[in-house]
Amino acid sequence: MGDVDSLVIGGRRFASRLIVGTGKYESFPMMAGAVTASGAELVTVAVRLVDFDDRDGDLTSFLPAEVLLLPNTAGARTADDAVRVARLARAGGLPDWVKLEVIPDGRNLLPDPIGTLEAAEVLVGEGFTVLPYMFPDPLLARRLEEVGCATVMPLAAPIGSGRGLKLRESIAIMIEEARVPVIVDAGLGAPSDAAAAMELGADAVLVNTAIARAADPPSMAAAFRLAVDAGRRGYLAEVMEQQSAEPSSPLAGIVGAS
Amino acid sequence: MSSCTVNGRLHELEEHETVARLLERLGLNAPYALVERNGEPVERASYPHVALESDDRILVARPVAGG
Repeated sequence: MGDVDSLVIGGRRFASRLIVGTGKYESFPMMAGAVTASGAELVTVAVRLVDFDDRDGDLTSFLPAEVLLLPNTAGARTADDAVRVARLARAGGLPDWVKLEVIPDGRNLLPDPIGTLEAAEVLVGEGFTVLPYMFPDPLLARRLEEVGCATVMPLAAPIGSGRGLKLRESIAIMIEEARVPVIVDAGLGAPSDAAAAMELGADAVLVNTAIARAADPPSMAAAFRLAVDAGRRGYLAEVMEQQSAEPSSPLAGIVGAS
Repeated sequence: MSSCTVNGRLHELEEHETVARLLERLGLNAPYALVERNGEPVERASYPHVALESDDRILVARPVAGG
């Protein structure tokens, strides 16, 4: 593996194929411990108005200095909302990378494909590196590629649900067709889900809740790191075709057979 | 005395108060204080130069934990 297998997004090279979120941790130090243990080089943050009555510490000061912050547009219900958040983040000094989320529906948290495409086109035009969160629709993925998105990020299952690779077949088609990295984002629950996504050929996975809500987040982050690595190696080594039973030991010379 | 709003709250302006001075008065010295003025994002490099005016609608945001 090593350098030759690094992930390239928007011209930037990453050794880690695990991207992590910073949400839902009990504390910033706990979050920082998990991020460090995950080995992630790309870390998502949200953007929110400062609450002058209830100020906690500065999240970014807890993160390892070498990680690239990936602002998301979580909370945006329309394309315009998302574009506004991305512009605000970049103007204020955050990277010109954006995890684009346009989610009008608060119950199932499913992304709006049309709003996502509209916002992606505007943001790419303004020079952003756009990583869109999307339902795993291969044709939408193609449209997002065509407008210049750096990746496509299909959900495995609803955000925060931990249900695993429920949309496997659609994600498999996306992986076959995609010309940009496919990052499986949302819904992974166990490290084995991440391994399965990587074995399928995903270029990376993004995990937040599954790590943050584990009893021991840093340990779970390390487990996901290993699972992503295992899945990637399995994919590169080419998983065998499924077939009917076939003995692994010789049929000749069985003791007691003659 | 003139005033603007910051995240919907009334803010009495000092004379020639800039975005940088506003953040200082608010105690926001975090590396990423994100500012929107009347719906337009303000570039970080211009925080020391952009003077606030009466009735400006200012939003101040920052990165928080998220997925």
